[in-house]
Amino acid sequence: MKGFGLLTALVLLTGAVKSQELYVFTEPASNMPSGSVGARLTNEGFFGNGWSSRTMPEVMIGFNKNLMGHGQAFLSDMDGKYRFEGGSLYAKYRILSVDGLKTHSRAALFGRWSRSNRPTYTEDINLEGDNSGWQGGIIFTQLLHKLALSGTLSYTKATNRQPEMATLQPDQMIGYTLSSGYLLLPFVYKDYKQPNFNLYFEVLGKTNPANGHSYLDLAPAVQVVLNSRTRIDLGYRFEVAGGMNRRYTKNMYLARVEFNFFNVLH
Amino acid sequence: MKTLKYLSILFIALTGSQVSAQQINNAELQVTGLTCSMCSQATEKAIRSLDFVESIKADLNKNTFAIDFKKNRPVNIDLIRKKVQDAGFSIGSMTATFNFNNLKIDEGGQAMAGQETYQFLNAKSKTLNGEVKASIVDKNFVSGPVFKKKAAEFKGATYASGYGLVNGKKTRIFHLTI
Repeated sequence: MKGFGLLTALVLLTGAVKSQELYVFTEPASNMPSGSVGARLTNEGFFGNGWSSRTMPEVMIGFNKNLMGHGQAFLSDMDGKYRFEGGSLYAKYRILSVDGLKTHSRAALFGRWSRSNRPTYTEDINLEGDNSGWQGGIIFTQLLHKLALSGTLSYTKATNRQPEMATLQPDQMIGYTLSSGYLLLPFVYKDYKQPNFNLYFEVLGKTNPANGHSYLDLAPAVQVVLNSRTRIDLGYRFEVAGGMNRRYTKNMYLARVEFNFFNVLH
Repeated sequence: MKTLKYLSILFIALTGSQVSAQQINNAELQVTGLTCSMCSQATEKAIRSLDFVESIKADLNKNTFAIDFKKNRPVNIDLIRKKVQDAGFSIGSMTATFNFNNLKIDEGGQAMAGQETYQFLNAKSKTLNGEVKASIVDKNFVSGPVFKKKAAEFKGATYASGYGLVNGKKTRIFHLTI
């Protein structure tokens, strides 16, 4: 934690870095290039009652310059044996795009629909594996010289609350995130083969509008981009304020590899 | 002699599109909104897929792309813009090297070369020959503020839409400064 704070201060003081918006825990308002396809393999792990992890294969498609979609499957050993537990569809539509030479503003609307056959254990809602439900939201991303800031506001509704879990009846959640990213290396680009090294700080929060229960996570992450097409992410989120009993995503690591195939659908 | 004349007319008619094809040798694109080399690579691949592009080279630090065009294919400037926009970005500026053959600019600044119509914002009543560097300043070929400024300066009716009537036909008109 201290190390990351120090690194941030260093990053901001040197001013030699550029911003980066390939966020690890959230999506930017920018879209994938039209006609491009991406494939992701994400692994998340939790250190709660023992260690359990989830694997999420994911396909991403840029349908046109404004519309992109993701399809995900979820597999985990959270209920004992490692098994398939559900899937999710995600779509993002860009509604604003203003580009300047070194600035840009983007806004996008997104929606998610998920199915999961996991039983409910907590009032927290996680549509990436743990709950069935839907989500809608808006993203703003602003790049200003060396700082890329992105914020998300979302509403999530769970649809698989079991009647016997009376205490967990609240079935909705307001989500808010704030993300920033920095390009640390290279200082000067030579070609597409040069690896990029990026650093991210994200704040992820949720509030249950029915009872005010909230939590706030801090999520630092590092990222390497190889050959300007392959992404490797490593991040960790930990709770800094609030809390919800037995929530899924508390103190969770995330490891991901992403492959991009540009301009293959035209 | 007459046969030769007809033959040459036929030749020109058959190769008419190639007259305009040879009018742009190369271009330099400044693309705005790019923040990562992945974005640049996606943009480059999209532009490279155009059949009239011979080669493309990116400067990843300046976010510029140097494009060479094929000699025997008509260059479609609008398709380049579309590819950049489809990749998720915008053209900040575009300068092209035209190869004009006795291009006559009328007193209104308009000139026709093959099938292309150009409107010059800073030239009129003159003839251009050989290689000429010109900037395309149409909407979405410059940044929003620059477009607004130019629109206020140049009050021509065709600038805002990029289209105008040429010989009674609605025609794409590119607006150039040299």
